[in-house]
Amino acid sequence: MKNLIFLSIFTVSLFLVGCDDDPEPENIPELITKATLTFSPTGGAPVVVTATDPDGEGPQDLQIDGPINLTKGTVYTLTIELINGLYEPDEEEYDITEEVREEGDEHQLFFSWSDGSFSSPTGTGNIGSNGSVNYQDEDDNGLPIGLTTSWTTAGTSASGKSFRVVLKHQPDIKSATSTSNDGESDLDITFTLNIN
Amino acid sequence: MQAQCTNTLAGTILDEGGRPLPGATIWIQEIKAGKISTVTGSFLFDQLCAGDYTVEIKFLGYDTYRQVIGLSKSIQLTIQLIPSEEVLQEVIISDHQDVVGNANTFSQITTNELETMRGKSLGEALQAVAGVNSIQTGPSIFKPVIHGVHSQRILILNNGIRQEGQQWGAEHAPEIDPFIATKLVVVKDAAAIKYGTDAIGGVIVVTPPELPVDQKLGGELYLIGNTNGRAGITSGLLEGSFGKHKGWGWRAQGTAKLSGDSHAADYNLSNTGYRELNYSLSTGYHKENKGFEIFYSRFNTTIGILRGSATNSTEDLENAFEREPPQYTESFTYSISQPRQEVAHNLIKLNGHIRSNNDLFTLQYGFQLNNRSEFDVRRGNLKEVPALGYKLFTQTLDFDWKTTANSRHNRSRGINFMWQDNNKIDGTQTIPFIPNYTNYSGGMYWIEKFTTSRWNWDVGARYDYRYYNVAGFDFRNELYKSQLTFHNLSATAGVTYKLNQMSSLTSNVGSTWRPPNVAELYSLGTHQSAAAIEYGLLLDETTNEILDINQVDFKTEQALKWVTSYQLEANQWHLELSGYLNYIFNYIYLKPRGVTQNTRGVFPYFRYSQTDASFLGADLLLHYSLSKSWTVSSRGSLLWAADVTQDDYLIFIPSNRIELGLEYHVGKFGTWKDFYVEARINYVARQNRGPRVVSIQELIDAKEAGIDLIQQDPRNFDFLPPPEAYLLASFQTGISKPLGNSVLDIRLSIQNAFNESYREYTNRMRYYADDLGQNISLALKYSF
Repeated sequence: MKNLIFLSIFTVSLFLVGCDDDPEPENIPELITKATLTFSPTGGAPVVVTATDPDGEGPQDLQIDGPINLTKGTVYTLTIELINGLYEPDEEEYDITEEVREEGDEHQLFFSWSDGSFSSPTGTGNIGSNGSVNYQDEDDNGLPIGLTTSWTTAGTSASGKSFRVVLKHQPDIKSATSTSNDGESDLDITFTLNIN
Repeated sequence: MQAQCTNTLAGTILDEGGRPLPGATIWIQEIKAGKISTVTGSFLFDQLCAGDYTVEIKFLGYDTYRQVIGLSKSIQLTIQLIPSEEVLQEVIISDHQDVVGNANTFSQITTNELETMRGKSLGEALQAVAGVNSIQTGPSIFKPVIHGVHSQRILILNNGIRQEGQQWGAEHAPEIDPFIATKLVVVKDAAAIKYGTDAIGGVIVVTPPELPVDQKLGGELYLIGNTNGRAGITSGLLEGSFGKHKGWGWRAQGTAKLSGDSHAADYNLSNTGYRELNYSLSTGYHKENKGFEIFYSRFNTTIGILRGSATNSTEDLENAFEREPPQYTESFTYSISQPRQEVAHNLIKLNGHIRSNNDLFTLQYGFQLNNRSEFDVRRGNLKEVPALGYKLFTQTLDFDWKTTANSRHNRSRGINFMWQDNNKIDGTQTIPFIPNYTNYSGGMYWIEKFTTSRWNWDVGARYDYRYYNVAGFDFRNELYKSQLTFHNLSATAGVTYKLNQMSSLTSNVGSTWRPPNVAELYSLGTHQSAAAIEYGLLLDETTNEILDINQVDFKTEQALKWVTSYQLEANQWHLELSGYLNYIFNYIYLKPRGVTQNTRGVFPYFRYSQTDASFLGADLLLHYSLSKSWTVSSRGSLLWAADVTQDDYLIFIPSNRIELGLEYHVGKFGTWKDFYVEARINYVARQNRGPRVVSIQELIDAKEAGIDLIQQDPRNFDFLPPPEAYLLASFQTGISKPLGNSVLDIRLSIQNAFNESYREYTNRMRYYADDLGQNISLALKYSF
């Protein structure tokens, strides 16, 4: 019986060990809360559209502004900026664009659009089909990334067209033949496109 | 006179098939001394004087052997035990771990059956019990399902201690090495209220053998090789006593497994390898009226998850559904990359009991530390950082007082305490999926058992209290805190009626409840490879802010389970037939609630919600001896599950299945023995009671048109229809070679013998790839 009493005291004392400190918040560097597409013509004011996620994994839908209003028959350079709004602009984690560029050999942006929107590239893009895109940047292996691309709008007006951009993470599988069906989506947004 | 006291009484105990029976108790009345048979079934009493001795041998499920032996010189006996007609019942009660009452429906995997399954994981081995299935994630993660319910609704007793791990995820398997057990018992009714609240579906009891009390060094060694996965498994055990210190015994045991990628019928399943390293140590002291035991075990595993199942969006998922073989399918490798799980589980158990007259007092303390890290495919320097990591620290204290008032009536009462602390592993750089929490629980119970010549009665009641102190982070990554309490009553009543010498009828009704798991209340995030977002019950429907539990209409889950079974144990027959109805009020499940869009695309989201669910089913187990050598067997289960409130089907409910087997057995074969050959076919029906199918394309197209298909119709849904029915064949053969005091067992088996391509409805890998192809397994066991 003595042993049992000793065992009880020993175990009850173990129960009292513990602490109730508040947990430390985590950094959330992977989240993309905002994507900005900037179409810069050779002269004149750039066209800027954004997609903002108000609640991350929450049930509220992505807020997409726009439409993208481009001028017909014009050459634009599209640059894409990705931001993690949980950080301040001076913090390293704020700019996800830079991370994608550094890891260009495992990321690629893919684009698709309504037929006839652009005179260059022609077609409907390289999401789910094998059209071409005028990539203006490349990774260490000479393969395109897509943070900077070049576009020439069609000569005719059109409205209510769509423009979709998908960022794929393709670790170890990015190649000259990998497509938008390979890897995992880090970004997938569709904007409305008007050409006037 | 002392010179005469040098005789020895040695012996070997065999089962009905002539195989050694380890763990039987041998008691000699005159000297008031007992032994336990070794792994080879042997025992030895020495320094006996000449005279008459009453030898009594007992073993679970066998008739007690009693014989007066006149000893004038040392003798060697061979005793074959006869299986008892009332399989198990009485003996388990006399066991210290009386989980199983007089009037329970239970099934067990016996030592011999378990031998044929060595090398499998706990959840996989348990599928050999009719009515037990598993929710699987790939080839190595098996989560047990009893009568259609799982996770928090099943209690697992590992060596008498409630197993406490991260059981909230469908891809979280129990962290137990089945090599520690010589027997697995599944209690299918809700009557095992002694151990806590969660046994709504049933209890799984993992029982190691008793420690040796007085014997020479004994042990066993397994070597197993599998062609599928090119896996190697080894497990060893050593046990003995401490020479002069009578009553003290010890055991050391360890298991190592290494498997590379498994293989489907037609392709490699990349990144499905696993590694496991487990060990346990125990020592204890046993006398007839008291005992003490210390047990330590560590379970450690790294499990790869099919690479092609890692998706980031519904579009990725759709691509993954359509691709065969899956994306990233490469040639065989042993290396494991992301996604993968790393899990470690430590258990320390201290257990003491004292018997005085008719009372037995048991005190048991358990300490468990569970570490889980899940690694996803991530960007940059986060590649080697787990996306999810938790440390779960649990202490349990159980006190039980059992009184045997007379041979017809006994009573158990006791109290249980649990203290638990769950902490995220810092540095995952994700919003934690579940919050940190501290859990204080307490319960007490009272159970009465009555026995008459034809009737056995069980009645019991239990009260439980649970307190949660929660601190987590909401979708904005801001800290929240809450305190919750739950308490309720459980009650059970059961009866067994012996129809005649060979058959009996058991019926049991139990009303049990369980407190909600923290994951059900506060989950937030995307589940590994499911491309679905999950929200807890206490997150606001529209804003996702954390709510107080009084602001929502929450009621604890309460189950009413009725199980009735018929048992027949005649010369050629062994039959177990049971039917059950489990009606669960306020059943907590993930209800599809809508489609949301974030920067990665369109996602369905689910909220933990409550409904009333019913599970109606039947299990069958049959062995019929055609002759001395030939036996046919069958095992089957039927289940109809429904969401009663919404008149809908539930997801991931095991489909109906039946197995047929034919075995040929020869007891002696020259200097070899126990030769057997066995063929089995397994038919698994298609799940025709699966929820409606909503394809990803339908979901996305509707969302683009401004329609939320799920908000429109919040019934359960699945992205893909259930896979077709399948039929698998397997063969097994084995033989034993006695080598003096040791035995060598050899087994050869072929699973999925004809390399069928198939998919199992309850395997989450079915969305991406075929299930396992052919496997040839060779197992050697040496015991001494």
